[in-house]
Parts: sequence; structure tokens; C-alpha cells
Amino acid sequence: MRWPDIKEGFRNFWIEFKNIKFGLFGLFLLFIFILIVIINPYLVPFPDASSRWRDITYWEDNPVSAPPLWINWFSSVKRASSSIISEYTLTEEKKGNLTLNKMIFEYEFFYDRPPIDIIFHSYVVGSPVIILSMERPDGKIITLTKRVISKITGEDIRISIGNDSRTESYNFGMKYENPEQNRIERELIKPTRILFAEAEEGILVNPSFLKGIYKIMVDIVLPSSNDQVSESSLFISGGVSGWLGTDSAKRDIWSGIAAGVKWALLIGLLTAFTSVSIGVIYGVVSAYLGGWQDSLMQRIFEIFVGVPLLPVLIVMSAIFRPNIWTLIIMMSCFFWVGPVKTVRSMGLQIKEETYIEAAKAFGASSSRIIFKHMIPLLIPYSFASMALYVPSAIVYEASISLLGLGDATIVTWGQILHDALRGGAVINGLWWWVIPPGLFIALMGMTFAFIGFAMDKILHPKLRTR
Amino acid sequence: MYWRYCLKRIIYGLVTFIILIFIFSALFNTTMEKTLRSQIEEEIRAETLKMDTKMTPEEITHFIAERRAFKQHLYHLDKPIWSRIIWRAIDVLSLNFGKATIMKSSAGETDVWAIIAECLPRTILLFTTAIGINIILGLLLGLKKAQKAGGFVDKITSIGTMVVYGMPSWWLGMLVIMFFSYKLRLFPSGSLHSIPPPSGLAYYIDLLYHMALPVLTLVVIGFWGSSYLIRNIVLGILQEDYIMATRTRGIPERKVLYGHAMRTAAPPIVTMALLSLLASVGGNIIFEGIFSWPGLGNLYWISIEQNDVPVLMGNLFITTALYMAGLVILDLVYGFLDPRIKVGGRR
Repeated sequence: MRWPDIKEGFRNFWIEFKNIKFGLFGLFLLFIFILIVIINPYLVPFPDASSRWRDITYWEDNPVSAPPLWINWFSSVKRASSSIISEYTLTEEKKGNLTLNKMIFEYEFFYDRPPIDIIFHSYVVGSPVIILSMERPDGKIITLTKRVISKITGEDIRISIGNDSRTESYNFGMKYENPEQNRIERELIKPTRILFAEAEEGILVNPSFLKGIYKIMVDIVLPSSNDQVSESSLFISGGVSGWLGTDSAKRDIWSGIAAGVKWALLIGLLTAFTSVSIGVIYGVVSAYLGGWQDSLMQRIFEIFVGVPLLPVLIVMSAIFRPNIWTLIIMMSCFFWVGPVKTVRSMGLQIKEETYIEAAKAFGASSSRIIFKHMIPLLIPYSFASMALYVPSAIVYEASISLLGLGDATIVTWGQILHDALRGGAVINGLWWWVIPPGLFIALMGMTFAFIGFAMDKILHPKLRTR
Repeated sequence: MYWRYCLKRIIYGLVTFIILIFIFSALFNTTMEKTLRSQIEEEIRAETLKMDTKMTPEEITHFIAERRAFKQHLYHLDKPIWSRIIWRAIDVLSLNFGKATIMKSSAGETDVWAIIAECLPRTILLFTTAIGINIILGLLLGLKKAQKAGGFVDKITSIGTMVVYGMPSWWLGMLVIMFFSYKLRLFPSGSLHSIPPPSGLAYYIDLLYHMALPVLTLVVIGFWGSSYLIRNIVLGILQEDYIMATRTRGIPERKVLYGHAMRTAAPPIVTMALLSLLASVGGNIIFEGIFSWPGLGNLYWISIEQNDVPVLMGNLFITTALYMAGLVILDLVYGFLDPRIKVGGRR
């Protein structure tokens, strides 16, 4: 088979494929998945999710188990959403050697529930003193916390109001609270629930929240001229966070899922490609050789057929602890049996064609006949079965990861589900942690099922209609 | 003729199984021996603790060395590696899986075989029920689809097939548990029966109640695929000439479908049913862990979590045996239903 013939074949195939709507829809979905892989950094708030998924410092600012932010659209109680405020007004004042910087961050609070935490981030050199205070919409000013830093040579510092201003917010609350009726231990309060509350009785136990613009003021005293504070920002850790919420380890689920797309595509496509290639070549060779070689190859094939795939993969993963590449090889080692039987029977037919006989008469070698004259005819079938193998490869990897046997250096959807199962997402009803990863597995499976079934429909026109 | 075919197929199956067991033994030999050695050390330590305390340190060392040599000889650990592998395979083939390191059966036995034997019927119960329902629903829907191929119902359900094609059953299980057990509190979230289990008829009702959710999940995932396959099988047959001939003879459509087409469709449909049962053994076992259904699949979860290698291995061997047996039965049933195979031998 010559190259132009193959090209012609593909063109005819495409013309037929274009008429199958769900096939085109599958291609469209595949395109979207590939797009997600390519523009991943612009799509997700945490672009390093793939490499730092298990790094707790990378996620420490996020709220724990926060639902996605769009649930505010459907819920009557609006929760503050997570965001970063990096704009501020800066005033500088010099007093001898000392420099006094004052940053004012404005936070518009128009929700029914306050944020979980407010975190100040800055890159600091030297030994400045940082004082955080807050001006509320009712004009009250609360000094929140003070941090004295000694001699650091460039480091990101993190001041969490939720942790560091416990005493101050408690004292602020106690000014208005009736101590006889509503006593609450200092350890039990949540600072932001007091700071964002109406200054009235009940502030500690049953606050009603004060909407308006809150100014968070950061006073920085720089003792020498070499000291500097830069890249400051304020992270609002809200009650809702990100497009798909966060998990119990504060990780942004959408970032994880977007990072998983590329692994799913890799696992699915690579496994499908290698195993179908092996299977097709094996089947054709077996059919072409015939005789005792055929029988032997069929016996070997039958041994592989007798292997219960998932159990063997699970046991092998439990014992050998594979990384993603060895897992793909392991899967390919067992997946190749799938197309063999069909390919062999197709090969037996092709073998009897006259042009094969002609090629033999011309003295063509076996490998030339197999690769040049037989396998090209099986290419359409191979592609169709490849597409249908992709979902099972992804599901198998997810199943192995679900058991906690996956590659711990990457993030796949199965691993997110494993964490969800371990983190009690099912019991606590954290649906945003359980639904999306599985939905993406299902969507990816659907994509390739659409493409594969469309190809199948072209290859078996008999099944189309009566 | 059929008996000769049967015998041949069974012998083939057995040979393949034995080869597979040898391969597994070779593959997992190191890990299993490691566990075995530590088990031996444990036993010896227990023995020395029970010993007479008046022994001198030399005597104790000597005793330990002697016991160790004896036990290692008992388990063939002093032999060369190939002979160890063969011994292991023979052990497995004689259902001698050794002792579990941590796990126990509900009767308190540590024998791996006892633990597995307890789980096996539960797995079979769950999956046969689900697949039975699956096939019935698939048959009803598949025939409808084949009759009006290309019609509205056919198109919609075919798209449904593709939608659930790559959906993991265990994920749907998680959702179903989250919704029906924890949100609505309609069904139990898992396990075989309530604690303490009720007796008499109430026990079976309780069992069905616990089975409802997993079976529902399996059916919802499975019947799309089976209806699609049945559609394709029946549709292929409906295009045969003899169906055309029966139609021209004026035989009513119902009779054509159920009397003529179904007779020919029976072998592949039975094959499909058995194959999906096999696929469950091979592919759906994760599912049991989600519902804490104490079958073979759940055993995989627990043995991996507790790192109990003998149980894991025993489980793998039993699963393989089941799978092989299924393949053999499949061929036998197919040969029985399809007369062409009986006569001509396998090929």
C-alpha cells in the first residue's frame, strides 16, 4: 500500500466521519481537553498544582473544605469568596534613620458570612516591625497584631489574622458583649467572625455582620535604609473558594483536576497506542506465519487472556510500587490481547488475497508483506480500537490510584478521589470533592467512546440501520 | 463429540492456569519469601519465650539456629531459587496459601483459605444478581433498539452507552452512597447486613436491603452496554436472508423476533452475560470496597491497607482460578448452544 493510497483512505474516512454528529462532538471535547493542557497556567489560580500537589506550604492560605464560589448564586446566604488584594495605597514617611511605611488595603465586604481568614504576605529584607490594624465601616479601629522581624535576608513572611489576632479580637468583642449572659472561651472564638460583626451585644456568640468597606492598614517600621518590604498582598481566605472548591488539605480542586488532564491523556493514549500496536502486529504475524508458529502464538495469547487484569495490576502495584511510566508499561503488557483475535481473523482473510500472492512471487520478505501490505489495511480498525482502549486505561489507573497505589509524584483524578475517600468527603457530603474528578474521568471516557464508536460505525456499516 | 470438545477445553484451561500460577510464583517469589521469613522469625521468638529459662546463651543461640534451619527446610527456603518457585506454585495449586500475617476470618482463623472462602460467596451473590438484572433490562431495551434501529430510542440510548462508557462504577457508587445513604438516609452505606444480624426471614430481607444500593449502581452503569451489544447482535441477525424469508412467508413480526432471531442470538447473548460476569471479577472488584461489601474485592482493599501479603496473594490466585473457570465454562456453554462448534472441534 502506497502513501497516496493511505492519504486517500484517510480522506474518505474523514468525509464519512464528518457526517456522524457524536463523533464530531467527541473530537470537539478532545480539542477542549488538549486546550486545557496547553493553556493550563492561564486557567488555574495555582499553576504549580502539578508539581506541588503534596506540598502543604503551597496551599496554606486556602480555606479548608470550602465549597465552590458559584454556590453563592444558588444559596440565600452569601459567603465571602477567596481572593487576593494586591492593590494598596502606600504612604512613606522618613524619621531620621527610620522609614515609616503605611499600606492601606481596601476590602469590600458585602456578604452574609465573613472570610475564614485574612493573610498578609510580603517579601521582607532586614528587620522591620509590622503592625496590622483594621478600620471598620463604623469607624472603629482595631490593632490586630504586631510582628517584629529580626534580620532576614529576603524571605516571604506570612501574617495570618485568624491566628495572630486572637487576643485582640477577643478583647474587642468583650467590650460590647454582656459577660454575664454570653461567656465564651478565648480559644473557641473565630477572629474574623468578631472583626466583621456589628459592635453590639451578642458579638461573640451570635454576631450579625457589618457590611461595608474594611480598611486593613499595615504599618511597617524599617529601622535602616537597607531594609525593604515589597510584593505585599492580602489573601482573603473565604468561605467559598475557586471554581471547584478546596479539599480538606486546602488544595484547590480545579487546579488539581486541570493538572490531571495531561496525565489522563498521557496514560490513556500511550497505553492504548502501545498495546493496540503490539496486539495488531502480534495478530497479523500469527495469521501470516500459520502452522506451528501460529499455534504457539495462540497458546501464549490464551495464557494472557486468562489473566484477570485488574487484580493482577493491583497486586503488582502493591508489591512493586510502580511510577507512572512503569504502570503504563505494565498495563500495555496485559492490554495488548484485546485486538489479537479480531486482527488474526482479518489477517487470515487478507493473507489469501491475490496481491499477497503476487508479492510473494516477486520474492518480498515476510516482514515486508506484513508491514507493507497487511498492516496498512488494518489501520482504520486499529485506530477505532485504540480510541476505545483509552477510557479503560484511564479507569484502570484511577482504580489503582483509588487504592492508594498510584504514583505519588504526580496528581491524577484517581488520586484526588483516593484523598476524597480518605478525607471523609463521602460521609461529610463534600460533593465538590467527589463529583468533579469522577466526572472528568467519565467525560474523558465519553470523548474517546464518541470517537471510537463513530469510527466503529464507519467500519461496520451493517449495524447502522436495518 | 461434545464431550471430547469439553475435555479438551478443560485440559487446556487447567494447563493455562498451572502456567499462570508458575508465572505468578516467579513474579512474586521475593515478596512472599520475605513475609514467610519474618513469619518464621516470629514463630521462633514465640517458641524461645516459652522455653526453659535455665538454658545458657549458647544453648539458646543453638536452639534458635536449629529451629530456623528446621522451619526453613519445612518451607523449602534452603533450596535453590527455581525449586522454591516450583514448590510455591505446587503449594498454591494444592490450595495451601499459608497463614495471614494480620487478618482473621470472622471465625477467628488465620488460614488464608478460610478468609477467602468466607468472602467468595458474597462476591458471587452480588455480581450474579446485578448481572442477571442487567441482562434482563438489556434484553428488553436491546430488542426495542434493534427493532427500530436508527430511531429515536435507539439514538438516545446509544448516546447513553457512550456517556457511561468510561465511567468508573466505584465513582458512581461513591455518589450514590453520598446521596442515598448520607443525604436522604434511605439505604445503609455498606456492609452485608445490620449489626447484630436479624435471624430467619428478616435476615434475607435485611440482606436485600443492603444489596439494593450496590446492585442499583451496577445496573445503572451496566445495562447501557449490554443493551447496546444485544442490539448489535440482534440487528446483525435480522439482516440475514432467512429472516427476510420468514418475513415474506407472512410470519408475524413478534414471532420472527422471538422465535427465529432470538434462537440464533442466544449463544452470543449468553456469552456476553458470562463475559460481563467475568469482567466484574476482573474489573469491578474495586467497587466492593466502596460499599464495604465483604467480598473478594473488599479483601484486596483490606489486605493492601494492612499489608497482608499472603492474603493478597491467595486472593489473586483464587481470582485467577475463578476467571479461568469462567473462561472455560464460557466456551463449554457456547459450544453447547452453537452446534457448529461441537462438530468441527475448536477451530
